[in-house]
Amino acid sequence: MQKENYKVLKGPESYLPPAAALHGVSLPEKGEGLIEGKCVSENTCIQYIALKLLEAKNPTFFPGPLLLWRTTEYALQRGKLVREIAKEVNARVIPMPDYRPKYPMINPAVEINPNHPNLTIWHNKIDVGIFIGVHCHQANLALKIIRGGTDCYTIALCAEEGHEEANASLRNADNKILQKLLETIKEIKKGGAK
Amino acid sequence: MPSYNDLKEVSTEYMLFKAKREEQFITGSEAVREAVRRANIEVAISYPITPQSESMHLVGDLYAEGFVKEYFRGENEFAVMSEIAGAAMGGARTFTATCGPGTLRAFENFPMWAGARLPIVMAFMPRGVNSPLTIQPDTIEMGFLLDTGIMMLHAENAQDLYDMLLMSFDIVEQTSVHIPIGVFIDGFFVTHTRQKVHIVTEDVRLKPYNPSLSPVPIMDMETPPFRCMRDPFVMKSNYISYAAHASWQQEIMASAQRAKRHIKKYLGNFIEQENPSAPIQIVASGTAVSQSREAIKMLKEDGISAGLVKVKLIRPFPTKEIKNALSKTEKIIIPEFNRTGWLAREIASTIPNNDRIVPGPRVYGGMTMPPEVIVEVVKNGTPIGI
Amino acid sequence: MSLDITKINPHFEDVMPQEYIDLVKNGPFGNEKSQKDLGTFKELLEEHPLCAGCNLALAFRILVGSLPNPEDTIIVGSTGCSSLAFSQLALHNIHSVFGNQNAVATGLKTALRLRFPDKIKDVIVMAGDGATADIGLDMTLHSWFRGDKITTVMFDNELYANTGGQESGMSVRDTVLYMAPKGKKFNKINLPDMAIAAGCSYVAVVSTARTKPISDCFKKAVLITREIGPTYIQIYTPCPTNLKIKPYESKKVATDRSKSDYQFREHITDDAKKYLESLKP
Repeated sequence: MQKENYKVLKGPESYLPPAAALHGVSLPEKGEGLIEGKCVSENTCIQYIALKLLEAKNPTFFPGPLLLWRTTEYALQRGKLVREIAKEVNARVIPMPDYRPKYPMINPAVEINPNHPNLTIWHNKIDVGIFIGVHCHQANLALKIIRGGTDCYTIALCAEEGHEEANASLRNADNKILQKLLETIKEIKKGGAK
Repeated sequence: MPSYNDLKEVSTEYMLFKAKREEQFITGSEAVREAVRRANIEVAISYPITPQSESMHLVGDLYAEGFVKEYFRGENEFAVMSEIAGAAMGGARTFTATCGPGTLRAFENFPMWAGARLPIVMAFMPRGVNSPLTIQPDTIEMGFLLDTGIMMLHAENAQDLYDMLLMSFDIVEQTSVHIPIGVFIDGFFVTHTRQKVHIVTEDVRLKPYNPSLSPVPIMDMETPPFRCMRDPFVMKSNYISYAAHASWQQEIMASAQRAKRHIKKYLGNFIEQENPSAPIQIVASGTAVSQSREAIKMLKEDGISAGLVKVKLIRPFPTKEIKNALSKTEKIIIPEFNRTGWLAREIASTIPNNDRIVPGPRVYGGMTMPPEVIVEVVKNGTPIGI
Repeated sequence: MSLDITKINPHFEDVMPQEYIDLVKNGPFGNEKSQKDLGTFKELLEEHPLCAGCNLALAFRILVGSLPNPEDTIIVGSTGCSSLAFSQLALHNIHSVFGNQNAVATGLKTALRLRFPDKIKDVIVMAGDGATADIGLDMTLHSWFRGDKITTVMFDNELYANTGGQESGMSVRDTVLYMAPKGKKFNKINLPDMAIAAGCSYVAVVSTARTKPISDCFKKAVLITREIGPTYIQIYTPCPTNLKIKPYESKKVATDRSKSDYQFREHITDDAKKYLESLKP
């Protein structure tokens, strides 16, 4: 049965949390973002994410294969932007080089595996995690597992349609939007936050 | 006749709502051909079974004419669905069709397609299954397919079939959807009869599939990560492995849910209602809808007011819409072309006070459904086929 | 393009785990290897959960270490022991359902031919004896009848190893196994002869007794497949777990059999022979 006003909040939520899409959470339209299950304007979402990153104790970027294994001009620029944002908010970068179920021994300090992302979160005490460059299917799986079992706040910077399973998500997050996020962070910092 | 190269590429929206159409008097199988002609299919694979065969013969003709890039006859339906899966994992837009025993022979592939996030469009022309052998119309296979994870549209007539096929490619090729869809059309009743169908006559075809938008990596060694199995086992004996598989299954259900907005864009409402305030409602899908319409006319002549709920979308099931449509109804009749009454079961598990349902009539094994039997159930509640 | 996806975005080189850096710097991409190079380069299959002494794992390592063009190779596997290793393989590979490997490969090859008309994409099937000769036999044979340009490799351990050691069509007659409590009642399926009859341009029967023929025959098969037609390699890969022998004894089983009823065999059509000749510098 569908729950009324289901909110996609920080976990740990339950033994097996529901897929947010099945409880009335819709993907944002173009020009929108998603915060805890509610569609907001893209600008609001960028502001919100910038603040979340700045307020985090231990923010961590999880770049996925679509970013790690590309050397096109666009990917290089995107990589540079991600590292700049990470530096600006003092975030760590833990890669997700592929999606294979690597059991039982991943080193959660150096990589994140989408089939047991909780290990990386727990081990590194990550309070805000940012997904970028992960195929949408694998991202949703990992985001839901994180929401179910950990207290990590999840953000998805998605190049396609966005993610209901993340606590906050941008869609069509191209390099222009990443640039905007970077500038927003810088502005907020100038204003005295963190 | 224009050739493939003469066709201009257009959006699905243009194809369905803006392109010029003309009325043609064609069979359901020919409606399949006309949809596929403009669907920019790369790989179509066929296997004969009555009453589907004619559709895929005609798709074969399109291949010979250059409208479909690759086409061959596979060795059986299980193999055909696996070949289609391989082509889809390789990033091609695909098409196939089957029915009845063929659907059952292929069955293991359907949940695999859904789990693998394959954007496959296929047509089913339901018929009975053995034993004893029958080639006659019967929608029992739809009941079997309800929980495979594939989406299901049920066409009433050749026009529905044509439009539903053409809209399906854009629906399933959305990044956030990317699961298979079956368009169902009752075998023989529609495939082998001529009807008026409005066909696009402009020289247009759908834009090609863009595999780079797939939510899972395409298996071509051109898509990162190169270390990738489609689809990896997550079955070590621990909680998190099971949770990963469970989350995967949830993601398939979520994908179907996400598809709804795209389905709505092209299909309009998931159900169509006529005379919604009538105390008696007949709920049906496929050709049972046409028979119900006739029954409603007959009932009207006898002074009985009955409404119609045509269910077009079977998976994901339009629960909310059905509940609303039947909120004030006193008596619900659900005529079906199968023994199990899968649509009645779906409705019964959806609405409150489901003792309002008067089961049947159900006909099967190729029996026709004269409107008189629907009238009889409405008037007397006679158990027909139950 | 395909070599490009084996290169790391320089902005993340500092955070990539060492094994990936090794794969890029010292792997087989753009740098063809063979069985004699094993141990000197970063292999595409590193960690896998197969048993100690597993000859399938040995054959698998040799095969993926001998690929003529790994950066444009896609492998289709099937259910069974090998599928547990496949998930760790650093190549695009497919598992869909049990037994449909050759059908999936046919579809995949068709799609890749359409999408990359100017490029050779090697599509290779690697599956066990149950998948190839029992549950998937019709699809194995039909892909050969159709002349689909697919290389098919069978890991033949003569039983269903992953489900606990049941009889397969490739089991030797009279062997007592699960589901053959009184011994197998019919002969081992002669798939190599069937492959020849079905139109394979190249067929080889090898075993883990000697590793070089596995590598050599496989390379030939992949090359012939590209231009001439389907090829088949059958590798005897005894399973110590189900034979209930010590891990180190399994190689000896392969050696003994390779001298008796599992001898090296090779069949090559004239066309294929000519083609291989034409490739020589």
